[in-house]
Amino acid sequence: MNEELDSQLSAMFDDELLPAECELLARRLSRDEHLKARWGRYAIIGAVIRAERGVRLNAPLAGRVNAVLLAEPALTADTAPRDRNQARLRWWQPLAGAGVAAGVAAVSIMWLRAQAPLPGAPQVTQVTAPGQAIVPTASSAAQGDSYVVPRPKPAAVMVPSTELANYVVAHSMFSNPVARRNLLSAFMASESPAAGTQEPQSNVKAIAQ
Amino acid sequence: MSRPSRSSGRLASLALAWAVASVAAAEEAAPKRPIEYTPTGWLERMDQALTTRNYDGTFAHWQGGRVEMLRIIHRVQDGTVSERLASLDGSGREFIRTGANLTCYLPDRRTVLVEQRPAEESLVSFPTVNDQTATFYDIREVGHMRLNRRDTHVIAVSPKDEYRYGYQLWIDESTAMPLKSQLIDAHGQVIEQIVFASLTLSSRIADSAFRPEISTEGFQWLRNDATPHPQAGASALAWSATNLPPGFRMTVRSAQILPGSVGAVDHLVFTDGFASVSVFVERQSAPSGQPPVPESAAVGSSSAFSTVVDGHKITAVGEVPPATVRYIAGQLKAQGAAAAGR
Amino acid sequence: MSADASDLSLVRRVQRGDKGAFDALVLKYQHKLVKLVMRYVRNPAEAEDIAQEAFIKAYRALPQFRGDSAFYTWLYRIAINTAKNAVVSRDRSPVEYDLDRNNNDESYDMQGRMKDSETPEGLVLTDEIRSTVNAAIDALPEDLRTAIVLRELEGLSYEEIAAAMDCPVGTVRSRIFRAREAIDRRLREVFEGGLGRAEELG
Repeated sequence: MNEELDSQLSAMFDDELLPAECELLARRLSRDEHLKARWGRYAIIGAVIRAERGVRLNAPLAGRVNAVLLAEPALTADTAPRDRNQARLRWWQPLAGAGVAAGVAAVSIMWLRAQAPLPGAPQVTQVTAPGQAIVPTASSAAQGDSYVVPRPKPAAVMVPSTELANYVVAHSMFSNPVARRNLLSAFMASESPAAGTQEPQSNVKAIAQ
Repeated sequence: MSRPSRSSGRLASLALAWAVASVAAAEEAAPKRPIEYTPTGWLERMDQALTTRNYDGTFAHWQGGRVEMLRIIHRVQDGTVSERLASLDGSGREFIRTGANLTCYLPDRRTVLVEQRPAEESLVSFPTVNDQTATFYDIREVGHMRLNRRDTHVIAVSPKDEYRYGYQLWIDESTAMPLKSQLIDAHGQVIEQIVFASLTLSSRIADSAFRPEISTEGFQWLRNDATPHPQAGASALAWSATNLPPGFRMTVRSAQILPGSVGAVDHLVFTDGFASVSVFVERQSAPSGQPPVPESAAVGSSSAFSTVVDGHKITAVGEVPPATVRYIAGQLKAQGAAAAGR
Repeated sequence: MSADASDLSLVRRVQRGDKGAFDALVLKYQHKLVKLVMRYVRNPAEAEDIAQEAFIKAYRALPQFRGDSAFYTWLYRIAINTAKNAVVSRDRSPVEYDLDRNNNDESYDMQGRMKDSETPEGLVLTDEIRSTVNAAIDALPEDLRTAIVLRELEGLSYEEIAAAMDCPVGTVRSRIFRAREAIDRRLREVFEGGLGRAEELG
């Protein structure tokens, strides 16, 4: 699998890698000294091909710049271009004011998350065509409207994080293996803003057809 | 092939040798036909690989517009499952399991959660796809393609209604490991994705691979008590759900004490063979000073919903759309006089 | 494929506090920048100092970089300004031509060698790197050599190279990658074999 990574590195060096893949690789590149060294050698190869005479090919320039920057304050998130996902809610935070306007169908399922939507992702999941109610079983027709979700009450209170964590961990033992990995990965996720912001290629439709 | 007898013996033996050789050659030359699996068969192979093989890998987890790198190590040895899931992005969080012992290291909260799961739980398997599942999911192979230089079979699991999510899985042909997996909502939008950057299936993984790397000095440790609460049995009988979303049925019912909780917690599991939802029922402690759980929450793409019924807090958690957990939680009812405060 | 995605992804990381990502940008552009500065200052050591200064100025100015232009274009302008200021402050003529020197690669090499001999042990000589890379390129199969030369010397995009070589883009990517692999294998030997530490990154 390392070859794939190096191939991506080569493509990224030539600015021929997809933006989403650049985001991932940029993170690895910044932390992996071996990858960085290889990247640096790619630059040297290019310099030799261009016969940049007189230029010292192995100058410790990067090291010297790095040394100076160590003393510089790190640029902060304030200096970064505004992240459209900044409104993202952490799972332990209350959902005050998270209500989303319902659609016009007779029965609709509301997406209660407070996260800013993904580009292109609908905020309201319009589920049914008018007239096609979602009723779990015929016998519960009378309770069918339990699916109509009222706006959440504002001013919910902070949940103790450990409580939901307990539930998540306990539940994870009963999820299917793929879902379990998703669940625990999300639970392990860092909450720093340093993560990439690209959405994965949605090739569902492409493959299905 | 009539020949003078002088050389016939030699020719005969040559012919025999040739015949033997050609048969052998034919056997070798015959193309090995790969065993063809049904789409459901691929899922079963995948589940088996994920739960029984030893592996060590790093993957990118995309969810909610953010990407994280994590490391996963999994080992089954002498019937005991060990796992380690660690964030590589500086949160330092780690989940380590050795057998029935689950530990969550949350350095950003300076907390360690320790859960001792019931021993008999290891006998309970995760939801398995069966004939019933096909009623609610359309499972098919939608592609056979190379991913990271590996041959993969792309299996799509498409729900037939909006109570559940869909999946698209790139399953490695030779190891059946899911090299890439996507969670898909009702609109075909990818809402979660995991892609392995590296993956090694090894025969041996040392115990040291499952030791945490962080120092827990000064951390708060929250443990649970594995022994069931004395009243657990009685309360477990009291709760059940009627009118579940189609295909869901209860498969597990247990009682335990979770770290930090006061009394016994009933744990019910509902599954449709693919997705599963846990419902936890806890006697509501005195309202004063105890903030209630918010109505809804999300853990990645999984949903949680909490409500209070008859003095009991009911929380549903599962890898399903929010409305499904909300619905299931709302269906929990206490039978008989066990409901407090009636 | 949006142009400049590669640099932008690194720039964004730096803007969010990841200094390690800036190393990658320096490594990528250091030779080009030094070459550029040498139009104004002939001495390679001095050119390196100025290039270093330009990189640091770029880092400090990064919060103002919005991606309106390509990162290298923006960096390029900073480098020119830094070089001009350095020249002016040192009261030197910006362009000093020595026709003999320009055409005489030998003397540049000598200058490089002189400089290298003053550097600490363990650093690999520039000319050794150059000859290793050139030999490796000579040894490449023609399709790999063509691909990487078109990329590095002519600056063609993968698509342009695909058109020129009449092959799919994926093949171009693969050829360039394999060319780099083959050259890098030899280059690594030079860096890591017997001469002590590898590149000086810190």
